[in-house]
Amino acid sequence: MTLLELENVAVTYGRIEALHGISLTVNEGEVVALIGANGAGKTTTMRAISGTRSLASGKITFNGEDISKLRADLRVVRGLCQSPEGRQIFPGMTVMENLDMGAYTRRDSAGIAADLDRVLTLFPRLAERRKQAGGTLSGGEQQMLAVGRALMSRPKLLLLDEPSMGLAPLVIRQIFDIITEINQQGTTILLVEQNAQQALSRAHRGYVLETGRS
Amino acid sequence: MHFDELIGHLGQHTVDGLSKGAIYALIALGYTLVYGVLRLINFAHSEVFMVGTFAVLILWNQLGVENNPPVGQAILFLVLGLVVAAAASGGTALALERVAYRPLRRKNAPPLIFLITAIGLSLVFVELFGQVLPKLLGGALPDVFGRPRQIVGMPTIIQQETLFTIGNTAITNIQLIVFIAAVAMMALLDWFINRTRYGRGVRAVAQNPETAALMGVNQERVIMLIFVLGGIMAGAAALLWSMRFGFTQNSIGFVLGLKAFTAAVLGGIGNLRGALLGGLFLGIVEVYGATLFASNWEDVIAFVVLIVVLMFRPTGLLGESLGRARA
Repeated sequence: MTLLELENVAVTYGRIEALHGISLTVNEGEVVALIGANGAGKTTTMRAISGTRSLASGKITFNGEDISKLRADLRVVRGLCQSPEGRQIFPGMTVMENLDMGAYTRRDSAGIAADLDRVLTLFPRLAERRKQAGGTLSGGEQQMLAVGRALMSRPKLLLLDEPSMGLAPLVIRQIFDIITEINQQGTTILLVEQNAQQALSRAHRGYVLETGRS
Repeated sequence: MHFDELIGHLGQHTVDGLSKGAIYALIALGYTLVYGVLRLINFAHSEVFMVGTFAVLILWNQLGVENNPPVGQAILFLVLGLVVAAAASGGTALALERVAYRPLRRKNAPPLIFLITAIGLSLVFVELFGQVLPKLLGGALPDVFGRPRQIVGMPTIIQQETLFTIGNTAITNIQLIVFIAAVAMMALLDWFINRTRYGRGVRAVAQNPETAALMGVNQERVIMLIFVLGGIMAGAAALLWSMRFGFTQNSIGFVLGLKAFTAAVLGGIGNLRGALLGGLFLGIVEVYGATLFASNWEDVIAFVVLIVVLMFRPTGLLGESLGRARA
């Protein structure tokens, strides 16, 4: 079943068109990789899906609902959550507070506690550093925190933007192992990567973005 | 120079400074909250305070408050004053945001436009309260609004008297109420921002607005919240001011707002605890300066201290923390 569908999505920055009408689909249970060179529009695509960039034209359907004009915060409620490029940890908040931010839209404290357990089991390093400020973590730990934070919203579709950026090869392996594990636990994943080989080896399908076209 | 006077009565001058600075600190919170989230200096915040003092004035006039009411009534008037001033100031701040700033944000206006808008709004409010309000309410409040642009007196709710003396330092009931009330309001705000879910949303937007949106934080709601919170604090300051000094005027916000803004910068703008520290520090410095030289020198001393502190610590005493290390 199709979970996410982009139809001819175009995004402009001022007068510059960053995406010239791309189309892609993600089916439930899949890991889909979106790869492409720097400046091809991968991050713009992610922003369009998350709603932090509005569309110039085209349509985004999520779980059967047209979300093209839906506010970003309401897309999180619908089950879409992104771990953004460059991790974007809240530097002044502790690891726990960062994880709580992921559950910002939720009120079911029992469910949140269960998901916290799950995240801390997936990333034992985060459990050790609960009280530490997010800004003081290493790059790999920050990436784990960014993925864990997104999982705390219990997403139907997890969007991962460049999870391997700036990390050592061993850490990249670890992160991708965990991504596979998260998928096997039932979360659909759309993955944006420059590291095409690693991404495609983990994905069921892939799209290549060439300067704004897929 | 009156060193002997300052040193001889250091405790007294410190107490006087603290109670003065507590009011600066409460107003400073409004500047710091808005700056922390929007990187905007809301110069119209001084008028948010001014509106609060007029709300107290109108309330007390409508209730027919006389000088020196019995204790039970005095407490009632103060509590009602707090509620009304907080509502008036909070509402004014929210209206400013909705009517003026939000449309500018939607158009992606450059920061300078916001600044000019803020200054313009401030002037509009001052003139409105100086010219229009007396005519509108002239009939209802003849004695109070009879002459525009004049200082308007308020009834004395609590007679200032010395509560207790430590050494040669006398602490009055009003000083104690002002200080405790101001610190309590700030503690409440600090708790709200650092311990509650909504507060976490505010800090998230301050630290990284785009990622906050990705986590499901509604940025517009956070912005409304900080304006209202800053307004409530200014309303509390307005009540304490009215109780302590017993007068207001349409231009009351100008100097007080400038001082409060100074306090916010001194403590580290964007930092809530910095606003408290900056406010108290500024109050003390002013009183010391006025004692050392003469009272008409206090503003000179205050701003010289600001400049000197910023030369050594450009981010203020505590630095910025609400939006620390924003990318």
